[in-house]
Amino acid sequence: MSTTSTEEEQTAKASGDTLLEVNDLKTYYEDGGLLGSNPVKAVDGVSFDIQRGETLGLVGESGCGKSTLGRTLMRLEEATAGEVKLNGTDITTLSGSDLKQFRKDVQMVFQDPDSSLNERMTVGEIVREPLDVHDWKTPSERRERVRELLETVGLQEQHYYRYPHQFSGGQRQRIGIARALALEPEFIILDEPVSALDVSVQAKILNLLEDLQNEFGLTYLFIAHDLAVVRHICDRVAVMYLGNMMEIGPADEMFDQPANPYTHALLSSIPEPDPTIERDRITLRGTPPSPRDPPAGCPFSTRCPVKIRPAAYRDMDPELWERIEVFREVLRERSRADPSLSDRVRKLLGRESHRAGMDEIIPELFGELDVPSDVMTHIREAADYAENDDEDAARSYLREEFGSVCDHERPDQLSVGNRGRLSLCHRHEAEYEEPATVFETLVQ
Amino acid sequence: MSTTTETEIPLRQRVAENPQPALIWAAVGAVLIGVELGAILQVVGAVAGVVVNLLPGDPGASAVQSLQAAFDAIPTLVSRDVIPNQGYWNGTGYENTFLGLSPAVAWAIRVAFVYAYAFAVLAWAWNGYKRFRRHYRRVDWTPRDDVVNRFRGHSWGKFGLIIVITFVVMAVFAPALGPTTMERNILQPYDYEVSYWSEDTQSVETVLVGEANLGSGSQGAGDENVAPMTYDDFGRFHPFGTATNGKDLFTQVVFGARISLTIAVVAMGIAGLIGLGLAMITAYYKGLADLATVLVSDSIQALPVIMVLILMLVIFQNTWVRELYDGAVLIILIFSIVYWPFIWRSIRGPALQVSEQDWIDAAKSFGQTPTQVMRKHMAPYVFSYMLIYASLSLGGIIISVAGLSYLGLGITAPTPEWGRLIANGQQYVASPSWHISLVPGLLITLVVTGLNAFGDGIRDAIDPQADTGDEAAATGGGA
Repeated sequence: MSTTSTEEEQTAKASGDTLLEVNDLKTYYEDGGLLGSNPVKAVDGVSFDIQRGETLGLVGESGCGKSTLGRTLMRLEEATAGEVKLNGTDITTLSGSDLKQFRKDVQMVFQDPDSSLNERMTVGEIVREPLDVHDWKTPSERRERVRELLETVGLQEQHYYRYPHQFSGGQRQRIGIARALALEPEFIILDEPVSALDVSVQAKILNLLEDLQNEFGLTYLFIAHDLAVVRHICDRVAVMYLGNMMEIGPADEMFDQPANPYTHALLSSIPEPDPTIERDRITLRGTPPSPRDPPAGCPFSTRCPVKIRPAAYRDMDPELWERIEVFREVLRERSRADPSLSDRVRKLLGRESHRAGMDEIIPELFGELDVPSDVMTHIREAADYAENDDEDAARSYLREEFGSVCDHERPDQLSVGNRGRLSLCHRHEAEYEEPATVFETLVQ
Repeated sequence: MSTTTETEIPLRQRVAENPQPALIWAAVGAVLIGVELGAILQVVGAVAGVVVNLLPGDPGASAVQSLQAAFDAIPTLVSRDVIPNQGYWNGTGYENTFLGLSPAVAWAIRVAFVYAYAFAVLAWAWNGYKRFRRHYRRVDWTPRDDVVNRFRGHSWGKFGLIIVITFVVMAVFAPALGPTTMERNILQPYDYEVSYWSEDTQSVETVLVGEANLGSGSQGAGDENVAPMTYDDFGRFHPFGTATNGKDLFTQVVFGARISLTIAVVAMGIAGLIGLGLAMITAYYKGLADLATVLVSDSIQALPVIMVLILMLVIFQNTWVRELYDGAVLIILIFSIVYWPFIWRSIRGPALQVSEQDWIDAAKSFGQTPTQVMRKHMAPYVFSYMLIYASLSLGGIIISVAGLSYLGLGITAPTPEWGRLIANGQQYVASPSWHISLVPGLLITLVVTGLNAFGDGIRDAIDPQADTGDEAAATGGGA
C-alpha cells in the first residue's frame, strides 16, 4: 500500500511531526475453533499516520472495523500483523514496563458513559485510579490533581464524593474525559464520545474536547459515524469500509469533493437540514459482505454504483447490469447460509432442496427486461450451477464473465489532489474515468 | 463502609471534629461489651488452648491453662451464674435458684435476657452504621444505601433475618441458654450430682446425674416420658422434654445448632471463596481457563453429593481427620469441595456480564493489573450474587448434615446433632414421646425456611428490577 506513497510523503513521515504511524495493520478475530477457522477480518491491512496536534476522524458504517482499529491502537486487542509506531516505537510488541509507560501516553474515552464508569466507585476514586496505578506523586497531590481535573472538564470540586449514578449522561462523559486526561497523555482515542448523548449536550462535549486539545496540545483519533460531527471537529478524515481504509485526506476537501465512490455514497447520506433542497442521494444496494469472506478485489466492489464494467458489457442497459449485480449478491448470500438439516436430508434423498428455486429467482430478476440472448445464456449457466447447490461455481462463473478489474484486483491507495489525499479505487488510474465524473452521469 | 469511602480527612480526624455521636455510641458499646468481656476472653483462651494443642510439644500449655482459669473467673452478665436455674425444692421453697423462683421461671428469664442482650448488641451495631452514615461519611449517598433501604422494606426477608439471628444467637449463647450444661448432663453425667426433693422421704436427697437421667428418659409409655415444659422426677426442668436416654433435649438442641451452624458457615465460606476466585479468573481470562473450570466443575457436580459424603466418611472412618471436631472438619472439607462448583456456576453469568463492561476496558487501558481489575471492578458486582446463593445453600448443608447424622454417619456421638436426635426419636413419633423427633425437625424446617427467606430478601434488595417505585427518594440528591 505504501508503494504508491510519493517520495515527499515518505520523507515528511521520517522528519516531520508524526505522532502515530500505522503500517498495514491487521486485526483478525479467530472464533476459537480448534481447527483452522476462517477469521473475521475486522481490520484488514490499514495504513495511515497522525500528525502531532491534529484530529483525525475515523468514519464508517457500524461493523466496518473502526472501533476495532481504535482498540488495537490502545492494545486492547492484539494486532494480527502490521505495526503501530508511536513516536517511532512499535507498540504492538511492547510488554512489561514499556507497555505500562505506553498506557500512560495513550488514553481512551468510551462511547457509553453508563458502562464506562464503575458505579460502585465515587467520581474521585474513578478519576484517581489511573494516578494510583502509575504511582503518580503523593496521595494528597493526586487528590489535588483530581480536583483540578474536575474543574478542567467543567465539573465541580464537591462532585468528588458523588457516584456516577447521580450524574446525567453529559456529566458522566465529562468524568470519563477527566479520567483520560489524568495521566497527561499525548494521544487520546475518542470512541464515538458523543453518540450516546443528547444533541444539545453533544455540542458542549465537542467544544470541551476542542478546548482541551488547544490547552494541552492533544492529538485525537475521533471515531464516529456522525459525519456532521466529524466535519465540525476533525482536521483530516479517514473513511473505513469492511476493514479497509477507503479514503483519507483533509476534512474540508473530502467533504466538498469526495474522491472514493464509498465516500460519495456516505456523504450523500448526510441529512440536509433544508427540506426544500433537491438532492440526488446515492442509495447503496444490499448490505456489506461478511468480514469473514471479503471480496477478492476491491472491498466495495459488491455494492459500488460506479464499478468498472468489463469492456464487453460497457454499453449494457444500466438496469440490466444492476440486476446482474443483484443476482451475484443473491448467490453470495446463499453460499454464506449453511444448509439446514432438512435441506441436507432432502439432498441425501435426492429430492429438490428448498434452496434451489432458481426458476423463481431468474424470472423475478430478469423477467421484465429485454435480456440479450448471450447474456441470458451465461445467467442460465450460473443458475444451473446454483440449482445443484454449487453456489461457489456459479459465483466464479459469473465473476469470470461479468467481473472486471474491481472484482479481480485489490486497488492501491492512489493519491488524489495535491494535499496528501489517498483513495482506494481503480478509477483513479489514468485509463478509467474518475468516480466523480461517473456519478454525474449516474444522477442525470 | 469506611473502606469503600474515599476519605480526604482521615476518619479519626472527622470524628475528632464532631465527637459527640461517636462518643455516645462508644460508651454504649463499652457497657455492652464490658459486661460480656469475660465470655469474650474465655473464647480467646479456648482458641489459644486449641492452638497450643495443635503445636508439637504443647509449648506454654501451663501458661495457657492458668490464663484460661483467670478468664473463667471474670464474671459475665449473661451467664448461668447470674441467673441460676439449677436449684431444688427443699420442702418450703426453692434453693439456689434466681430470687428463689422456680427453675422453669428462672430459666425463662435467662433465655429472655440472653436474647434481649443479643438484640441490644445488634441494635447498637446498626445504630453505629447509621451514625457513621449521618455524621462521618463523606458521601451522602452510595449505591449500597439503596440495597439496604430495599432490604428494610422487604418483610419476607426481614422475617428470614430474624429467624437467622435467632438461630445464630442460639448457637453462640448455647452454654447460657440450656437449663443444664453439656458437661454435666450429657458428657460426664456420672461426675456430677443433683439434689432433689424426695416425696418418699420428704427430704432433700442427692443422686448422680447419670442415674437421674436413667430414671427420666422418654420412652413412649406414659410413666416413661418427660414431655416439653415439664419437670422430671428429680425436679429438673426440661423445656423440650428429655431424649430417650433421659438427657435434656433443649441442651442438645442448642449445642446441635452450634455444630450445624459452624459446618454450614465454614463450608459455605470456603466454597464461596473458591467459587468467587474462580469466577473472577474465568470471567477475566475466559477461553481455556473457563473451559478447564467447566470440565472440573461438571465432573464434581455429576457426583451425587450424599453418596460422596457417605463414601468419604466411611473411607476416613478410623483416621485422625475423622476425629477433628467430632468429624465436623472432614464434613466441612467435603462440603466445600462439593459445593464450590455450584457457587461458581451461579455467579459465572454475572461475572461474565460485568467483565464485558466498558469500565473493565477502561481500567485495562490505563494499565490496571488483572488482580486489581478483578478485585475493584468485578468482585463487588458479583459478591452480592454469591451471598444470595450462599444463604440459599446454607439450608441445604444443614439438612445434609442432619441427614448424615440421621443415618448414623456425620457427627459422632455424644456430640449432639439434630439429625441424630430425629433418628433417636423416630420410633416414638406416634407415642407420647413425639417431641424427640418433632422439635428438632421443626427447628430444621424453620431455620432452612428462614435462610431461604433471607436469601430472597437479599436478592430482591440487590436486583433493581425488584425496586417498586420511590426511585427518586433512593437516588437522593442527584446532580
